[in-house]
Amino acid sequence: MSSDSDDTIEKGRIDLVPMIDCIMLLLLFFMLTTKFTSEEKSISSILPTNKGTSPAKPDKVVEPPQMVQIVITPAGLPMMNTEREYQTWYDQNVGVGQGIIPAAELRMGGNPATIKLENRKLSQRDNPNLAGEVENIHAFIHEALKRYEIPGKPRKEQSEIVVSCFSALSWRYALIAYDAARSYEVKQGAIFDAKDPNSLTNARAVSFAPPRVRNYSVKEMGAELFELHRLK
Amino acid sequence: MRRPRHLLASTDDGHLDLVPLIDCVFLILLFFMLVGRISVEQRHEQITVPPTRSGQVPPPLGANWIRVVVNVFGSTAAGNIPRNAIAWNSDQPWISSGQNEQDFVGYQKLRDKLDLVYDRSRTFDDPNGAKAPGGGVLQLPSVIVEVRADADTEYRVVQDIQMLLVDSVNPRPDQSGASMQPKVPQKPFVNLEFTTRKPGDR
Repeated sequence: MSSDSDDTIEKGRIDLVPMIDCIMLLLLFFMLTTKFTSEEKSISSILPTNKGTSPAKPDKVVEPPQMVQIVITPAGLPMMNTEREYQTWYDQNVGVGQGIIPAAELRMGGNPATIKLENRKLSQRDNPNLAGEVENIHAFIHEALKRYEIPGKPRKEQSEIVVSCFSALSWRYALIAYDAARSYEVKQGAIFDAKDPNSLTNARAVSFAPPRVRNYSVKEMGAELFELHRLK
Repeated sequence: MRRPRHLLASTDDGHLDLVPLIDCVFLILLFFMLVGRISVEQRHEQITVPPTRSGQVPPPLGANWIRVVVNVFGSTAAGNIPRNAIAWNSDQPWISSGQNEQDFVGYQKLRDKLDLVYDRSRTFDDPNGAKAPGGGVLQLPSVIVEVRADADTEYRVVQDIQMLLVDSVNPRPDQSGASMQPKVPQKPFVNLEFTTRKPGDR
């Protein structure tokens, strides 16, 4: 008695069916488990352990270091006189449960010039102008940072750059500003550490401002906006 | 109409010629193997990270180092995970942080996870020489925390997560009932990566 496989061997043919089964299974596996999205990137950061953490009072009055503030506030925020006025503006224009604040304004320290950042333009994955939008923000920040350069000072002794963003705005604004400040440092001669391509050496500190509102409450947004609007 | 000779030859003895089929299947298989990437389960797919220009592919981890992912959601679409919800690696998200301004349960759970990771990881002396509460130099863990926040996440959540990571706030209510009060760091995580994408990436 002879089986089918014996027949095929006798005729000089190889039985391809098991191989096709395996290949089909492999194909199915790859089709179901693969994704065609681009690989995500990252920006590394090292948080400080030696500042802003001790509840104890310092022994002597310390002169605050010079900082370059990148201030990001909701677009259309008028200059007002009191925290209460800012709170009223927030309640009327943003408020609780209103979703994402659609636009923001970025300025450098006390400089009145601003650039408008729109959620819509910076959020669409298929927006062909997204790279251009990000490029414009970089150019604005780089141009402003040039004016804060202290000639002759090494990079590490230049004024620290701090990103101060209104806490209810989207994270994208703060990260884009942080990225722009870091890329400015790269242009000025900062170098990448070979062990960690994301870390900068020979660069001044670039950081996010600590939270201004502890115990987050919508009733304190006016105080935060008041303070942010007056940052120099 | 006569059929081409090669087709006739393949069916003369009742056998189909499978070689073209196998060629095609191999090509498709090769395509998927080269072009596709197997999904990493630590990453929730509902998150769209912000675009930046200088983001880099994370370098390989050094010996004894580990990476953990803190996902922060930003969707406001109906039925999706609420905005500001936090998820540890691929775990179910904690939806407390964005639901109620007095609710810090998500932060408390995040800190609990971090404490567990800290206790299991290798540590090294703080290069800044910060003092530990019990004396000696503060010990830092060999852990990189990847903060994978959606572009629409509220900035305050990322700020609070940074404070939690460096262990400078207490997410649990104190005697006065207030949470997120300053404290002396005991188990800080200082090595961060903010996840981002290139503007042209999809």
